[in-house]
Amino acid sequence: MQTINEQNPSNKMGTEHPLNILASEAYKVFSDLGFEVTLGPELETEWYNFDALNVSKDHPARDMQDTFWIKDKPGYVLRTHTTNVTARAIEQAGKEGRIPCAFISIGKVFRNESTDATHEMQFFQIDGTMVGENISIAELKGVLTHFYKKMLGDDVEMEFRPSFFPFVEPGLEVWLKFRDRWLEVMGAGMLHPNVIRNLGLDPERVQGFAFGGGLDRIAMVKWNVPDVRLFYQGDLRLNQF
Amino acid sequence: MKISYNWLKWYIPDCPSSEKMWDIFTYHLCEVESIEPLGEDVIFDINILPNRAHDLLSHQGIARELASLLNIKYVDPTENYKIPTSQKTELKVKIESQNCRRYSARIVRNIKVGPSPDWVVKHLESIGQRSINNIVDAANLVMYDCGQPIHAFDLDKLSGVITVREAKEGEEITTLDNKQVKLKPVNMVIADDKNVLAIAGVKGGKVAEVDENTKNIVIEIANFDPVSVRKTARGINIFTDAAKRFENDLSATLCDYAMRELCGLFVEYGFTGFEDVVDMYPVKQEEHKLSFSIKRIANILGREVPKEEVLDILKRYNFYFEDKDDEIIIDVPPMRLDLNIPEDMAEEIGRIAGYDKVVGKLPSPSVFKRVVNDRHAKVAWARNQLLLNGYSEVMTYSFAPKGEVSVLKSAGDKSCLRTNLSDGLKESAKLNNLNSSLLGMTQVKLFEIGSVFKKDAEEIHVAYGDNKKINELELTEFCDLFAPKLDAEAMNMDLLVSMASRAKRVMPDKFTMWSLYPFITRDIALWVPEGLDSTEVQKVITENINELVVKGPDLFDAFTKEGKTSYAFRLVFQSFEKTLTDEEVSTVMQQVTDNINTHTDWTLR
Repeated sequence: MQTINEQNPSNKMGTEHPLNILASEAYKVFSDLGFEVTLGPELETEWYNFDALNVSKDHPARDMQDTFWIKDKPGYVLRTHTTNVTARAIEQAGKEGRIPCAFISIGKVFRNESTDATHEMQFFQIDGTMVGENISIAELKGVLTHFYKKMLGDDVEMEFRPSFFPFVEPGLEVWLKFRDRWLEVMGAGMLHPNVIRNLGLDPERVQGFAFGGGLDRIAMVKWNVPDVRLFYQGDLRLNQF
Repeated sequence: MKISYNWLKWYIPDCPSSEKMWDIFTYHLCEVESIEPLGEDVIFDINILPNRAHDLLSHQGIARELASLLNIKYVDPTENYKIPTSQKTELKVKIESQNCRRYSARIVRNIKVGPSPDWVVKHLESIGQRSINNIVDAANLVMYDCGQPIHAFDLDKLSGVITVREAKEGEEITTLDNKQVKLKPVNMVIADDKNVLAIAGVKGGKVAEVDENTKNIVIEIANFDPVSVRKTARGINIFTDAAKRFENDLSATLCDYAMRELCGLFVEYGFTGFEDVVDMYPVKQEEHKLSFSIKRIANILGREVPKEEVLDILKRYNFYFEDKDDEIIIDVPPMRLDLNIPEDMAEEIGRIAGYDKVVGKLPSPSVFKRVVNDRHAKVAWARNQLLLNGYSEVMTYSFAPKGEVSVLKSAGDKSCLRTNLSDGLKESAKLNNLNSSLLGMTQVKLFEIGSVFKKDAEEIHVAYGDNKKINELELTEFCDLFAPKLDAEAMNMDLLVSMASRAKRVMPDKFTMWSLYPFITRDIALWVPEGLDSTEVQKVITENINELVVKGPDLFDAFTKEGKTSYAFRLVFQSFEKTLTDEEVSTVMQQVTDNINTHTDWTLR
């Protein structure tokens, strides 16, 4: 068995994958705001990936075209977002009486679609949530503005536009003005009361926000990476930062 | 969905100029795909959100919404629709499927099929629809105008009762565009005593097609279950504007408006042979109320919401409401199937007023009782250990040609999930080893941390190694082996900080794409007098090379013997435009060696 602690002074430090540089930075930013890091399974039950999140049985997102269903294991999917992880965390925190709570999770997600320069079957998503008595869109705006300024610089502008996702109501799109261009970077909103209920909490007493978006996309705009597929080739020429 | 600005102005003559519409749509309603001028018109392509597709996939829908949003006049067209005189009818309709919520039909006799009036053609063409004949065009026009899909059959091609039912196994239909479709019981159809006439809500059939000889027609204005229509459309792979509207759940009350509008248009065409409407509407859409408090809305939006603001919005949107002390109770309009809970009203008020009114707030971090995530702490610790020991990080694909868990259908070429990281890492080591001189690495050392999938378990693994050997361990095993005493608490907070920011490294601003052409390496070794710094030699080499050198000169060997020092440098040549020839590289090398030779006390080896 080879040891990793060779302690060879001439050993240079290894290079980091750009997505993990961003992930570490993001964890740090959210951690400073009181968020707790959480991780969860990539192979997930239909319940946490869809049902608990108020995605109805007949919702188009469940179709074969978008979701990887597991063979010989009915009711299991490769997660299509990391909202499953934050949902599990809220449920657990509720059981432990740790409300208010705030969670952040970054991980691999999967979509069953053909790949090109901007689409990949696997990519990284950053997903966060905050639940308490008075957590509102104002807190969502405060947290995300702070996050993007830390990640991309103080001159970045952020705004909300109306949108729709089954697990939130109201639903919002998060847009950023970065280097004179507006980009859609996240979906967000206030957790739908059905979701709060599904996670064992009382929507009359607690409420909260959730957001989620691609980390690959942040990396691509921050560093001008031309093709999302470059992230998963195992090619060290990617590690330039 | 395409919307014509001129068409909108029929209903909202005070509509702001088209230049102002991008902001209005984007910040208060939905995303704008494009805004294009078209002659004297302007066409908006907008993406109606799924929760508003019940009532906004039409010009009237958008016009009504804009009139309320902007507090401008809405010209209600229904009063102007001409009402025909009508005769008794013998038409028989039967609903046998649960998935048909309403079926209105009407015979119109002695019609004349021909070209449409110019304004109809113009309206349809403005949103990219081709004119077919006055009957089909009228049906389409009314759909794009009020949102209700309509179908017309040639009465003389029908026999017996019109029945809405599930298809029988093996039944077939030839669609209007001549596609032969095999049907299954999950598909709802419109049939008569002999034939399947149409795939309900999706596409009409050839057998009862309205053509230039048609004299008498049956108009169908129906309401079908959204899920049933969606499954059928997907199943037979036919997507139509009608199906798209039904899929989004239309209000069955819309049938009445559409019938009035269409018949009004037929009266304008000069048709007179109207018979009574046969309206099968077994289960009426229920009326419902929604109650909410201003306090709740304010608590969701995170801003003060004055009561006058809410009441003003309710009035503009023509909601009937009751204003109690703490509670406002509204009668939800039948078309607004999206309004069910107080949160829906928070969204209404939020988007109508605009989310720019919300001022961002940061909660105090101290209110959260956090615990350390053990798994994340371990991942971060393992990652840092490997980086500190010179291993570089890669990510490879989770899919593999073989494995214990596989996916049902994949858009890609691999359908199994990886059982280990080593296979991917080996490939990666091979690739990077070939590029080692480009990377400036004498030894390529790699690692990946990620999930692998065993028959009954998902595990996080750590794999690391080089071109010769890869080690792979389960995450906890790895941590126990190299840091048996560290606990999660101690590992965590510090490790949240990335290696990059800890080292205060200056990161480049931009990613540099590499060349896809092969590279060539050349080494130069020379003797110089002892004491001469390698950078002196490096400088001379650098001055004599060109842009074809993408890496180097890098010193890779140095030793001193008998008052002389030997230095060896490596140059890597590569072009972004082509595969370099030996000659091109040699020319540069010649330039370098010629220059070295001008230094009398330097000797090439």
